[in-house]
Amino acid sequence: MLTFKIALRNSFRQKRRTTLTVLTMLGGFALASISIAWSDGSYAYVIDMFTRNQMGHIQLHRAGYLDRPSLYKTVDDYKTLGPALETVERVQDWAPRLYSSGLASVGEKSSGVRIIGVDPERETATTRFDKKVTEGRSFSLAPSQEALLGTGLAKTLKAKVGDEVVIVSQGADGSIANDLYRIVGLVSSGDAFGDRTALYLHLTDAQELLVLENRVHEIAVVVDGLDDLDEVAAAIQTTIQQPEVEAATWQEFARSFYVAMRADQQGSWIMLFVIILVVAVGVLNTVLMTVLERRREYGVLRAIGTGPGQVFRMVVMEVVIMAVVSMILGSVVAYIVNYQLSIEGIALPTAFTYGGVTFDRLYTIINARSFYIPAVCIILTAVVASLVPAQMAARVAPARAMRTH
Amino acid sequence: MNADNDHKVIIAEGVTKEYSDNGLPVMALRGIDLTIEQGEFAAIVGPSGSGKTTFLNVVSGLDSITEGSVRLDGKLLSTMSGRELSDYRRDRIGFIFQAYNLIPVLTVEENVEYIMLLQGIDKKERHRRVRDLLAQLGLDGMADRLPSRLSGGQQQRVAVARAIVSRPALVLADEPTANLDSKTALDLIDMMRRLNEESGVTFVFSTHDSMIMARARRLIVLKDGRIDRDEAQA
Repeated sequence: MLTFKIALRNSFRQKRRTTLTVLTMLGGFALASISIAWSDGSYAYVIDMFTRNQMGHIQLHRAGYLDRPSLYKTVDDYKTLGPALETVERVQDWAPRLYSSGLASVGEKSSGVRIIGVDPERETATTRFDKKVTEGRSFSLAPSQEALLGTGLAKTLKAKVGDEVVIVSQGADGSIANDLYRIVGLVSSGDAFGDRTALYLHLTDAQELLVLENRVHEIAVVVDGLDDLDEVAAAIQTTIQQPEVEAATWQEFARSFYVAMRADQQGSWIMLFVIILVVAVGVLNTVLMTVLERRREYGVLRAIGTGPGQVFRMVVMEVVIMAVVSMILGSVVAYIVNYQLSIEGIALPTAFTYGGVTFDRLYTIINARSFYIPAVCIILTAVVASLVPAQMAARVAPARAMRTH
Repeated sequence: MNADNDHKVIIAEGVTKEYSDNGLPVMALRGIDLTIEQGEFAAIVGPSGSGKTTFLNVVSGLDSITEGSVRLDGKLLSTMSGRELSDYRRDRIGFIFQAYNLIPVLTVEENVEYIMLLQGIDKKERHRRVRDLLAQLGLDGMADRLPSRLSGGQQQRVAVARAIVSRPALVLADEPTANLDSKTALDLIDMMRRLNEESGVTFVFSTHDSMIMARARRLIVLKDGRIDRDEAQA
């Protein structure tokens, strides 16, 4: 208590220096907090857009499909599986999909395509499919021999809404699958590369074309929140009780995207390190000056019976007090800035595409990490930076120190 | 330690202190032999550079010695660790410095009770002792003031209060009156002498003020790091 009292009052002795040190630590805290909130916010936004708009957070496939996709590796009886998924906590929606490849012709133009069979109602609920239709309209709810083309594919085929497209593929029974469909809309999924080959059919039409009645290749699931997806995937696995069907999180089925994100995120630690370094130098400078100035006082304290440990704690505590004040003020500043940026975001000078999704504005996120990581860093930095000066203060030779003026 | 040593607070034998001043060796003390008995009121006098402050520093363990030995209450200082010395000073020695050396961020009351806090004395007892002592030293109504708001004489009285409040066996005062005017200086010395007579606390102080010397009951004259004269006074 006595040590705390002296440390507290000492912190206010050199007001200008204390203010500058507090401002350095406050700035460091706020910058670190904003940096983490920005990084987490941006990645959460990118991940959410990428998963929510396209892949889903969790996908169900027949075992081995992800490693080696095949027309025959299907999830059977998805109409029974789907409702079971809805009983799992945090699951919000699910959408069945069917994939194959084929040749599409519009007039005299032909191109290789990726046939994607979707349930329009479920796909819209799950991945906002209808929002991706940039021209024309989405599917009718009932199968009506309708097709939607990726914008890139439409360009290749010189196709427009209202044209007819002939698709040739292979049925699961080995037959030649071919049929005629009317183009009712164009789709821009955000994945420009994918849009060059994407051809969407109503799921029922696709199942009929490929002779895969009541079967799909994938069930995309979206859940509430991005945290602890492994637990949700495990819960799904337990609920469906079908060992031949595997539930995988986006980190598994989009591994390259996940790895790229993680690598990118490491960059924010470098920023944090630079901030900490600046704070450490500021604190070290202040504490060293303070200790040198108060050498005589430490000599007196030691002379009258204050133990070296008490002097040591006194110096460290003074820095900790400043760090705590900085953290409190820094939290307020960081909260205000993070809150504002989480609503308005920051417009990017140049939009970029990540994982096929185009971003022109990024947002911060207000989470515990963006406060406790800077707090721990600032406190640790302050304590570590004060250790050497504190040791110097604790080890002063009283007689010599008292001779200094 | 034999029975004769029981009343000896300080026993210095052949104490030599050499230090370096800008690379040049300086002999501050040259083989000092001195014994201070319990309850003494002794003045160490001599001109500047004679070794008065150095002597007080080495007998309190604030500074090391080059040769010889110092015993405090029979304990050999050279065998004590830094921590033990620190604890010993806290519990057995009171210091009064020429420049007062009060803790600037603590009030008068907090400065005086500081050592008792280190000793773990309970709050009630601390406050009782501080209150009594401040009244005794004419510092009533100044308990909440910071040292910067006191005159030199008042600050030195607070320093005296801090030195004796924990009831040490020995008070070492290094030129306690050097920064005070004559009247304040005499008042302070009279007060120290009264405390010595009333409570039996041993006082050893350095001075080169002839008026103050006259108040001491024992005069130890240092010259060039040696004891030139050691005599009792009435």
